Amino acid sequence: MDRTAFQRMLSVFLCLILWAGVGLSQGTEFQANVDRNPVGVGEPFTLSFTLSNGGMGGGKNLQPPDLNKFRIMGGPNQSSNVQISNGSVSSSFVYSYVVEAIEIGKFTIGPASIESGGKTYRSAPLTIEVVKGSTKTKQQGTEAADLSAQVGDNLFLKATVDRAHVIQGEQINLVFKLYTRVSVNNYAVEKTPNMTGFWGEDIELPKNVPLSTETVNGKQYKVGIVKRMALFPTQAGTLEISPMEVQTTVVVQDRRSVDPFDSFFRDPFGRSINYEIKSEPIKIKVDPLPSDPPPDFKGAVGQFAMSTAVDKKTTRTNEPVSLKVTISGTGNIKLIESPLVELPTDFEQYSPKVSDNINRTGNRISGSKTFEYLLIPRYPGVKTVKPVSFSYYDPAKRSYVKLHSPQIELNVEQGTAPVAPMIAGGSREDVQLLSQDVRFIKLASPGFARPGEAFYSSGLFMAMLLIPVAGLAGAFVYARRRAAVMLDQAGYRNRKAMKVARKGLKQAEYLLKEKSGKPAANQRLRFYGEVSKALWKYFGDKLAIPQADFSVEGAAKVLTDRGIDPGLLAALRSLLETCDLARFAPTSLEASVMQKTYDEAQRIIVELERTLK
Amino acid sequence: MHRILVIVISCAAIAVARAQTPEQLFADANQLYQQGKFPEARASYERILSSGYAAGELSYNLGNACYKEGDIPHAILNYERALRRISGDDDVRHNLQIANLMIIDKIEPTPRIFIWEYWDGVKNWFTMTGVTLVVYAWFVLFAASLAVVALARTYALRKIAFLTAAGTFVVCLFFTVVLFDKKSDLVRSDLAIVVSQIVTVKNSPDPMSSDAFVLHGGVKVQITDRFTTWMKIRLADGKVGWMDGGAAEVI
Repeated sequence: MDRTAFQRMLSVFLCLILWAGVGLSQGTEFQANVDRNPVGVGEPFTLSFTLSNGGMGGGKNLQPPDLNKFRIMGGPNQSSNVQISNGSVSSSFVYSYVVEAIEIGKFTIGPASIESGGKTYRSAPLTIEVVKGSTKTKQQGTEAADLSAQVGDNLFLKATVDRAHVIQGEQINLVFKLYTRVSVNNYAVEKTPNMTGFWGEDIELPKNVPLSTETVNGKQYKVGIVKRMALFPTQAGTLEISPMEVQTTVVVQDRRSVDPFDSFFRDPFGRSINYEIKSEPIKIKVDPLPSDPPPDFKGAVGQFAMSTAVDKKTTRTNEPVSLKVTISGTGNIKLIESPLVELPTDFEQYSPKVSDNINRTGNRISGSKTFEYLLIPRYPGVKTVKPVSFSYYDPAKRSYVKLHSPQIELNVEQGTAPVAPMIAGGSREDVQLLSQDVRFIKLASPGFARPGEAFYSSGLFMAMLLIPVAGLAGAFVYARRRAAVMLDQAGYRNRKAMKVARKGLKQAEYLLKEKSGKPAANQRLRFYGEVSKALWKYFGDKLAIPQADFSVEGAAKVLTDRGIDPGLLAALRSLLETCDLARFAPTSLEASVMQKTYDEAQRIIVELERTLK
Repeated sequence: MHRILVIVISCAAIAVARAQTPEQLFADANQLYQQGKFPEARASYERILSSGYAAGELSYNLGNACYKEGDIPHAILNYERALRRISGDDDVRHNLQIANLMIIDKIEPTPRIFIWEYWDGVKNWFTMTGVTLVVYAWFVLFAASLAVVALARTYALRKIAFLTAAGTFVVCLFFTVVLFDKKSDLVRSDLAIVVSQIVTVKNSPDPMSSDAFVLHGGVKVQITDRFTTWMKIRLADGKVGWMDGGAAEVI
C-alpha cells in the first residue's frame, strides 16, 4: 500500500476519535484553485473549489462558474478533510473538476457559489493563462531538480581521451569514469555513445571495478571506470563522440518532510532513487593520412609484421595449395583488407578465408589477421607466385611502411586426372561433331616432295611451258614466211601486170606497123592473138586468176565483183569477142580496124589499171 | 669369316637403305598407328619430315597420331600444314574441325567480305599440282588459238581464233594468280599455332609488362612482328599482343 494513502487514512481515523466537543471556531472561506498556472493547450488540469471551515456537513448547491472556454472532462469530485489539532477543528471540502484548456490566451474563471450553514459563499474570480505546449515536464523537472540539488555535483560521469588530435586510423583510448561522493548501489549503461566516423573496440575491464580516489575542485571522489574503448577514426575532420548515459541507483536522505509520522515510517538509511547521469560530448580532430600512399595501401595504421606460408611446395595439378598470409601487430587490425596475391594465370583462385585474433586487454589493440588463399594449379610446371606486398602507415614514424613476402615457388606435377578441356559454348552441331572421332589416316603413299621440288617450280614444268611457246613461235614464223611468199607472188604479178600487158601490146603494135599497107593474113592473126594474150595475161597477173580458169564469163564475174564500170566491161567484152572473131573469121582485117582494136585494147588496160589499183 | 661379315654389313646397309625411303617409313609408321602405338607412329612420321620430305598426307597422319596421343595443339598444327598441301581434302578439314572443338579458347573471327570466301573456295578446291596443270592447259589453249590467228587464211577464222585467244588468256591469267596466291600461302611463315598448354600474352615484349590476355594451346595466331624472342601476334578476332616465341610453332 502506498505510504501517503496510509497516512491519510490514519489522519481520518484520528479525526473520528477526536470529533466530540469540537465546535466551529474559525471563519468560513470558499476559494477557487487550479493545480497549475499557466497550463498548456489540450492538457487536463484540476480546477478545485475548497470550502474551508464550512462545518462538518460541507456545502450544498454548488454553482460552478461559466467554463465555456474550457472543456469539463470530469467532476465534480468531492473530497473532505477534517483536522483537529490543539483542540481546534479545521475542515475542508474540496470540489474538483478536471478541465482541459481549448485555446491559448488569458481567461478569467468567474465566481462559483456554494451554500453552507444557511449562507451563500462566492469564490473570487481566477485568472488562468493558457499557453502552447506542455508544461508537464517542467513540473517533473522540478522534482528532478530537487533531486539533483541533493545529488548535485556529488555524482557525475566524465569521458576522457588520451589525445584529442590524431591522424586517421590512429588509436584513441576513450575512458568513461564515474565520480561519486554518494553511495551508488548499481549502475547500468542506458545509452552507449554514438561512434560515427570511428571503428570502436571495447577494451575488456576486470570483473570488479576497482575504485580509486581522486580530488576534483577540492572534493574527494571515489572513481570507477564504467567503460573503456579503443577508437580508430575512419575519416578525417572533426569528429564528435556523443555523450554516454548511465542510469544509477543512488541512496539519498529525504529531507523534505519534517512530519514525525512520516519520519517514523521512513528508512533510516535513506531511500534509493534512480538517477541518470550523462557525460559531456568530446570533439576529436582527425588529420588525413599523407596524400602519397603506396598503391597497395588499404588503410592499415599501426605497427605490423607480415608472414606468408604455403602448406606444400610441391603439388599436383588440380590439387589445392593453401597460402596463408598473416599480418600481426598493433593498430586497426580489424580494418585490414586482404592483400592482393598475384598468381600465374593458370591458377584458379578463390577469395580468401579471413580469421582474426584480437587482443582487447591492455592499452593497445593488438592481434593478428590471417588470410588463407586456396590456390588450385591447373597445369604442370614450376609456377611463381609474385611476392605478396602489404603497406601500412606508421604513426610513430609518420610514414608509410611497405612489407614484402619472399617470392613463392611452387612445383606443380602432372596429376593423375587429365586436364579436362572445357568446351566453351559449343553449339549443338559442334557437340555432335565432337562425339565423332577423327577420320582414319591415309594409307596410300603420297608423292613425297622435298622443299623446292614442287611441280610448278620443277624443270619439267618449265620444259612443258616451253612447248606451247615454241609451237606458237613456230606458227608465227611459218605464217610470216607464208605471208611473205604470198605477198611476193601476187604483188609482183600485180605490179608487173601493166608492164607485161604493154609488152604484149608492143608485139601487136610491131605486127601492126609491119603490115603497113597490105598485111599478110597470118600477120593479122598473130596481131589479134597478141592483143588477146596481152589482155588475158594482164587479168591473170592483176586479178590472181589461174590461167586455167580463163573464160570471158569468169573474168567478167571477177571484174564485176571488183566494181568495174559496166560500160568498160562491155567494151572489154566486145574487144575480146572481136579478137576471137578475127582469128576465126578474117572479115575485118583492114588496117584501120586493127588500129582501132589496138587503141581500144590500150585504152581498156589503162582504164582497168586505174580502176583495179 | 671376313667375307661373311662384309655380307652381313652390306645386307644391313641395304635394309637400312630400304627403310630410309620415305615410302617405306610412311608405311611402317602407318602400321604402328594401326596397332595403336601412337607415340611411336608419331616419332616415325616426324622422322620422315625431319629427313626433308613433305606431303599433305604425311602431315595429316602425323596430326592424327598427335590427336590420338592427346596433343591437340600439335594435331591442329599438322592438320593446318596438311591443308596447305591438300587443301581440298575433306578428311583433313573434318579432323581439323574436330581438333578445333577440343581447344579451350573460342575465338570468333572477324567477318570477311564474301568475295574472299569465294576466292579461298577456289584456291582450296585445287591442289598445287592441280592448279599448275590447269594453268598449263589454259596456256596451251591460249598458245594454240594464237597460232590459229597467225595461220588462219580467212578473216572469219582469224576473228574467232582471236576472241578465243583473248578468252583463254584471261582464264589462264586467273589461274596463274590462283597459283601464285597458293604458292604464297604455302610458303608464308606468319601463321602459327600455340603449342604451349597455356601462355600469357603481354601488352609489350617484356615479361614484367601487364597481361593482355591468356591463350591456351591450339589457337591459330598471325605473327605480325618479332622482337628478340618475342613475337607480336594478332588473333582472328583482332586482339593483338606480344607472346614468347617458344609458345607457338609456325605452320
